[in-house]
Amino acid sequence: MKRELIKGSIDSLLLCLIGQQPMYGYQIIKELEGRSQGYFKYKEGTLYPALHRMERAGLLAAQWHGANGGRQRRYYHITEKGRAILTERRSQWVDFLTAMNCIIQPTRA
Amino acid sequence: MDLKVELNRYLRNVRENLRLDPMSETEIITELAAHVEDRCQEMREIGLSEEEAIERSLRLLGSAKMVARQVYEAHSQGTWRQALLAGMPHLFFAGLFALNWLTGIAWVPIMLGFIGAIVLYALLHGKPTWLFPWLGYALLPVVAAGVSLLYLPQGWRLVTLLLYVPLVLWLSCFITIKFIRRDWLYSSLMLLPVPTFIGWYMVASKENSLPSLNLGFLYRFAPWTGLTFLMLGISVAMFVRMKNRMLRIIAIIVSGLASTAMVTLASNQLEFSSFIGLAILMLVFVLAPVYIERRLMKNSHLAAP
Repeated sequence: MKRELIKGSIDSLLLCLIGQQPMYGYQIIKELEGRSQGYFKYKEGTLYPALHRMERAGLLAAQWHGANGGRQRRYYHITEKGRAILTERRSQWVDFLTAMNCIIQPTRA
Repeated sequence: MDLKVELNRYLRNVRENLRLDPMSETEIITELAAHVEDRCQEMREIGLSEEEAIERSLRLLGSAKMVARQVYEAHSQGTWRQALLAGMPHLFFAGLFALNWLTGIAWVPIMLGFIGAIVLYALLHGKPTWLFPWLGYALLPVVAAGVSLLYLPQGWRLVTLLLYVPLVLWLSCFITIKFIRRDWLYSSLMLLPVPTFIGWYMVASKENSLPSLNLGFLYRFAPWTGLTFLMLGISVAMFVRMKNRMLRIIAIIVSGLASTAMVTLASNQLEFSSFIGLAILMLVFVLAPVYIERRLMKNSHLAAP
């Protein structure tokens, strides 16, 4: 179940993270791992197809930046369309969580 | 274990399976290379040896084929506009036959000029997927020149055919091989209508002896001829909209077989053996690019260090 949950939530997680600041692939992996205290551990190769799919859907846009003349990195940032989807997903998530809590939490005697 | 050598081997494996346009491939490869280098650097900093760092970084990224397949699926699906553009040359020919436009012979050069202009535009604008069906039709004047050779006087016919056949074979192989390097499926897409044309030509030559062959008799089959090209157009448009590579291959094979079956049934002129011959020819046209691609890949592996 955990695997399915993680798989189903990748788009929302990416929109949320990239919505806060433009990021590149490796940085996203580190942020996801760090912020979720190791809960979100993706097979790293699956991240890039997701990023490219979202880019083609117009939710993200990408730009190359060189880090002080060093390694070239592709930074993703959120688009207007992506931000609108993120707002919608956040609201859906809050509703879902509220409803789940009402049922899943042990009832008080 | 050398980082550069191992990384290059992995990235080459990804690239061979990506089958996208060269610009997108370069971007993806650069992005993955930066990722592995970042991961390796971090692992070396926590005390892993160079060898362990590379081995673990590549393992964390996953198999090259899996990464390439998923990226291909993220990129491969064309828009509805691209699907329409890809299906359009087949639809034009469907219209040309179905509406009996062949009577006004001026339509044919107009159509060929239009196809030439579209091909030129697409070649200069990044060779998009929808180019390939157009490219197949752009070779029609070459085929038409070959057919017209049959009407030359007896002695000339043999001499010119001996010159023409190797020249056409060379030209077809040159174009096919050029695009196979990107993806053999595009070459198949280009060659897809050839067996249908050959099928209708066989019907025509069965009905008329070759020197007196005239297109007029095709009007009897106009709706069916139109329908075979319409079917090719729809399947090519579906091909562009599909993400999954296997489904794309199935779409091409099924549409090719169905169109040859339709030629045989609708004309009522060809025997079952002709249908089998056409079906085999279709499979050769559609699947020969896979074999050529494998050979080219093998040669480039042998040439690589």
